[in-house]
Amino acid sequence: MPDNNDRQNPSSLSRRQFLKGVGVVGAGSGLAAEMLGPEAEAAPAPLQKPPAGETLKPGMMPITLTVNGQASTMQVEPRTTLLNALRNHAEPPITGPKLVCDEGACGCCTVLVDGKTMYACMLLAVDVVGRKITTIEGVAKDGKLSPVQQAFVEKDAMMCGFCTPGFVMSVEAALHANPSATLDQIKSACAGNTCRCGTYPHIFEAAMSAASKMRGGA
Amino acid sequence: MAQQKPQKMKKIKTVKDINGVPTEVEIEVPDTGGPTWGPRGSHTILNHNIERVDGPAKVSGAAKYTYDVRVPGMLYGRILMSPYASADIESIDISPAEKIPGVKAVVALGNKSTKYEGDPVAAVAAITPEIAEDAVRAIKVMYKKRAHAVTYTQALKPDAPSVYQNAQGNIRKQGQRGDKAKADAAMAQAEAIVEHEFLIGMQHHACLETHGVMVDYRGDDNATVYASTQGTFTIPPDAANALSLKAEKVTAIVEYMGGGFGSKFGIDLPGQIACRLSKMAKAPVRMMLSRPQEFLAAGNRNGALQRVKAGASKDGKLVAMIAEQYDLGGLGEGGLAALPYIYHVGTVYQQSNSLHTNQDSSRAMRGPGHPQTSFAMESIMDDLAAKIGMDPIEFRKLNTADPFYHRQLDTGAKEIGWERRPKTPGGGQAYGPYKSLKRGMGCGCATWGGGGHPECQVDVFIKQDGSIAVQVGTQDLGTGSRTYTAGIVAEEFGLPVKAIETRIGSSKYGQANASGGSTTTASLAPAVKVAAVNAKAQLLAAVAPMLKAKPEELSAANGKIFVTSDAGKSLNWKQACATLGASGISARGQWSNELAGNGVHGAQFAEVEVDVETGHVRVIKMVGVQDCGLPLNRRAVQSQLNGGMIQGLGYALLEEHWVDSATGNMLNASLEDYKVPGTMEIPEMVSLIDDGDTREVVIGMAEPAAIPGASAIANAVFNACGARITSLPITPDKVLTALGAVKA
Repeated sequence: MPDNNDRQNPSSLSRRQFLKGVGVVGAGSGLAAEMLGPEAEAAPAPLQKPPAGETLKPGMMPITLTVNGQASTMQVEPRTTLLNALRNHAEPPITGPKLVCDEGACGCCTVLVDGKTMYACMLLAVDVVGRKITTIEGVAKDGKLSPVQQAFVEKDAMMCGFCTPGFVMSVEAALHANPSATLDQIKSACAGNTCRCGTYPHIFEAAMSAASKMRGGA
Repeated sequence: MAQQKPQKMKKIKTVKDINGVPTEVEIEVPDTGGPTWGPRGSHTILNHNIERVDGPAKVSGAAKYTYDVRVPGMLYGRILMSPYASADIESIDISPAEKIPGVKAVVALGNKSTKYEGDPVAAVAAITPEIAEDAVRAIKVMYKKRAHAVTYTQALKPDAPSVYQNAQGNIRKQGQRGDKAKADAAMAQAEAIVEHEFLIGMQHHACLETHGVMVDYRGDDNATVYASTQGTFTIPPDAANALSLKAEKVTAIVEYMGGGFGSKFGIDLPGQIACRLSKMAKAPVRMMLSRPQEFLAAGNRNGALQRVKAGASKDGKLVAMIAEQYDLGGLGEGGLAALPYIYHVGTVYQQSNSLHTNQDSSRAMRGPGHPQTSFAMESIMDDLAAKIGMDPIEFRKLNTADPFYHRQLDTGAKEIGWERRPKTPGGGQAYGPYKSLKRGMGCGCATWGGGGHPECQVDVFIKQDGSIAVQVGTQDLGTGSRTYTAGIVAEEFGLPVKAIETRIGSSKYGQANASGGSTTTASLAPAVKVAAVNAKAQLLAAVAPMLKAKPEELSAANGKIFVTSDAGKSLNWKQACATLGASGISARGQWSNELAGNGVHGAQFAEVEVDVETGHVRVIKMVGVQDCGLPLNRRAVQSQLNGGMIQGLGYALLEEHWVDSATGNMLNASLEDYKVPGTMEIPEMVSLIDDGDTREVVIGMAEPAAIPGASAIANAVFNACGARITSLPITPDKVLTALGAVKA
């Protein structure tokens, strides 16, 4: 009996696999699929808006994402996650967001979509076309670290550094929403982020220090 | 015959094993006149907080890990792993995978059977990871399931299937010491006796960057292998072998790596498979394990089954111990530290065994073999202290002579407020809205050897333009080795850390040891120091004529080279370097025994709150006190200590590999279901460096930091509610069950 039905190659649907599937077979016009499918004769124009209600056929297709203020056109499949699009298809590669759990459990791929923290592994790239995506690479302005980044460096709020981009994004979003955030609110804002080296105490210190600076304190 | 000059001697402090107890002693050693670190208080950079030199790269996403390396034409590798704990492979058909557009290489690994869930069976390389996943799914494998033994109870059954065919059962005897009859006789004299069976499951490293490599090979006579590894130099020989290249034609790059904790040495089977695929496709292949694969096939901290009986005299001396240990390391032999761990017991009889199961082989994990033994021993300590009515700290001091432990226990007790603890287990006032919350405190101690080896070759380069670089092929796992390497050079030359360019993580640079067993600092730092001293000697010799002085009359500090007795006679750094020839200075340093030490201790404390209605345990505060010789970067030492305690917290309350005895499958091979501590579990934490340790040597301290945290938490639970939980993790069901026993 052939049996590849294991967790490394799931044919049983996980939550995200289900989402990925919907991205491919969502009900809608076959014409759009013809236009966008790989067998279309002329090179298709990049997808300009999310395929609401349209069917996208499997295969590579061009999309344009707005990442850190720049338009970036790349070839992806409809099932490609935003995370994999940034890491594997964008030119140059955008690898600050990390692939760790690939199921929305660790927060290492946290990005901002229209200013809100999102797990890039839980979004399909085609669904965020036209939306404002900010990754860790877009946080420093003109080569100058943000107060949050600076505080992470000063307080030694990292060890191996693999979770660091995700934590910085979560703290950035929390402090921009509320520069007076309490420690408990910071913990809550970062509850979706995981650090295995155990740098949490210094991350908390860095967040509180950055908050103080952002409020104009010492 | 020429009279020999009496050798100059000097006194140094070191740790010696006296009657099985690591004890600080002062010894005389020949004074070779080599470099020394200098006493505490003499440093301006070391023994201070140094900002991580790679901090800006890590907070801005610029740091490139193996997982981030992408080159044109690179393929994505994926491994098909066995879904069965034990099976024969009857046939395998890779042709459906080969037919998928975008698939560039498919290989059946040729194994006829599998011994654990996660055993690699076949692999593919494709132009996207999505297509690679389609391809492994398309491979048709015919398995014939065999009976498995995945749990220790299955493996111990008389009719258990042998995990290793042709082996007699699944137990492998590892050793025995002491005389059972003598231990029994000593036990008969004991005033108080405690006996428990301690059971701990497997813990996972859960490195955020999964194991993997990017093999940049395009069919030529050379290759570059990027690897997420703890040992840069462990990569080239094996990769060269797998690629049929000469070892010197393979360069390993480990610029950044996302956590290892003991699990990432060598190229590993996935690395070999990646090389094979790259060779077939004549294209670069990046092969990173998926998260489930990381749980199934990238190692674990071996579990442990320990049956321990111990007795104490009325006056608080440990008189007898009878112990039986089984390490549960799956297919591997994990090993456990010997009981009675750091304490002295009059008469000991101990037996140790490995028990094999059909699970992935265990690997080293921070303080390998120690947290398990610590949990058993420290639990026994508090139970005995309670039985004879003695304070657990006083009881510990009576049973270890080492002044390090006495000092560290006192320091930790003061910090956590030990006097506030209930004097008898469960004796505190219940509080909270339902009067269901009870608090308690506990502690535990650690020991680790560490030490250094003469492997590292460090180069320091100074150029005419004043640029200065230090170069060695070592790797930085997140411990901060890159930063202290810069710090040591900066300290020697009196320059800011930022002035030093640090190049690490390439097998093209000078040799360095793999990072395991807390040996990096004691191996690397001395060689860095010697290289800096050698470079400085060359620089001072070049500058001396300009300052009309002898080289030995010069000092370097505050960005200047000056005459020590007359600081007015000076050159700034740029002027000094301008005196160098066009080739500048190149100096190499090797390990110096006198700069490295070994033998560290550590005490950790926890205060917890137990809800006796729900069984939930919340850690309120943890305190760690850790010695490490000279702390090179205080802030990084504190980060390590925090991290060790947090991993201990996970071990105590959250983390456990669940395996289903019926199917043989792991049930929680994901970060959703295998819970590592998150922000909500983190208590108030205090990490203290034991400055009472004045040894003028450097010693690694990553392992001891991860050892006694779980023991301290288990003892705090016992102190809070009187429930002795003999199995980790301490989950609410176990607490409630144990409390039922207390009430009955």
